Amino acid sequence: MTTYSLIRNAGPLWEAATRSAFLNALAAGSLAANSFRRWLAQDYLFAKDLMAFQAVLLTKAPRNCHKPLTGGLAALDNEMGWFESHAAGLQVDLDIPPHPTCRRYTDFLLRCVYTQPYPVLLAILFGVEASYLAAWSALPLSGPYAEFIERWSSADFATYVEALGGLAERHTHEAAQEHFNEVLGHEREFWKMSWEG
Amino acid sequence: MLHDILWRSNLELVQSCLAHPFAQALGDGTLKTDLFRAFIAQDAFFLRAFLKAYALALARSDDTETIAAFYELIGGVLEEIKLHRGYAAELGIDLQRVVPNPACRAYTDFLLRTAWHTSLGETVAAMTPCMRLYAYLSRELVLKCSQLHPYRRWIEAYSSEAFGRLAEQMEALLDRIGTDTREVRNCYRYALQCELDFFSDAVGS
Repeated sequence: MTTYSLIRNAGPLWEAATRSAFLNALAAGSLAANSFRRWLAQDYLFAKDLMAFQAVLLTKAPRNCHKPLTGGLAALDNEMGWFESHAAGLQVDLDIPPHPTCRRYTDFLLRCVYTQPYPVLLAILFGVEASYLAAWSALPLSGPYAEFIERWSSADFATYVEALGGLAERHTHEAAQEHFNEVLGHEREFWKMSWEG
Repeated sequence: MLHDILWRSNLELVQSCLAHPFAQALGDGTLKTDLFRAFIAQDAFFLRAFLKAYALALARSDDTETIAAFYELIGGVLEEIKLHRGYAAELGIDLQRVVPNPACRAYTDFLLRTAWHTSLGETVAAMTPCMRLYAYLSRELVLKCSQLHPYRRWIEAYSSEAFGRLAEQMEALLDRIGTDTREVRNCYRYALQCELDFFSDAVGS
């Protein structure tokens, strides 16, 4: 991952966005059920808005970038279905307002998608996905949530992230790093919210 | 009327804004100049986003009457921006180099996301609280404003009849365009929460 300049230049922000007490407890099997339920609902609400972000982003992408971006949209649709079935099983209500931390993150994404140029949006999406992959990949594949860990540290997900990283490296912009770093700040806060409420 | 229902159902947030140390210090004139300077800088950044949100709302309006109303409201924000430019010149603020604090960033992201991405009704619901709240707070604060009050000009600009009319115009648009949905209620309430957070960041708490 550190081969990507966006990640290298983010410095300590990268570490802060990809390590959390929430994930440590999840991997150790000591996570409180309520924390997991909160995270599940808020991550779903995040994914709903990320879907809109990715859809608008696609409209700005040149033809030769369509493949990974349409693949990402299809994967996200799949993921939302997966969230819905887990939420139904655990009786988690997904029809709730977003937590302010989740809201600030998605307001940032959806403000940017209409106002920032394509390369900056690629850096943002790469930030969202790469940090998520790194956070889950750092966990041992065991415990009550192994299915979740496996999903977001899978080879398929890593291939998608690499494709996004490749696009971001080819389409550079002077404002890309600043926005990439801002994503990492939101990621850090999201994990914190999942843990602390 | 929708505007009245929304205002009344969020009165506790309105009262929290009025009782907030920032509003109180601004009102009794004890607010430190440094804090007022930082507030003006943040507010100027906010107003640029507010202006854009009006422009987006105007572009999404269909009838001439609504377009004319947004046109007038845009004129109102431009007047506010003039007021801020005046203060910026006096207080030595470079308005081109303002870095938004977290509350200002969250509020402007919310406004622009709403204006670009959601319905016209939600956009109006997200923008009305700012107008009504400032008209309300300034009318409360102006009552104890002496001639020598350091922030008299600022308070009087917002307690003026002209600003009050703009707030009423916004509320009339909300009644006409908005519908009483959960989304509209959420937008209105969240905007008020953003106002309260804006005050908190202004005094660094």
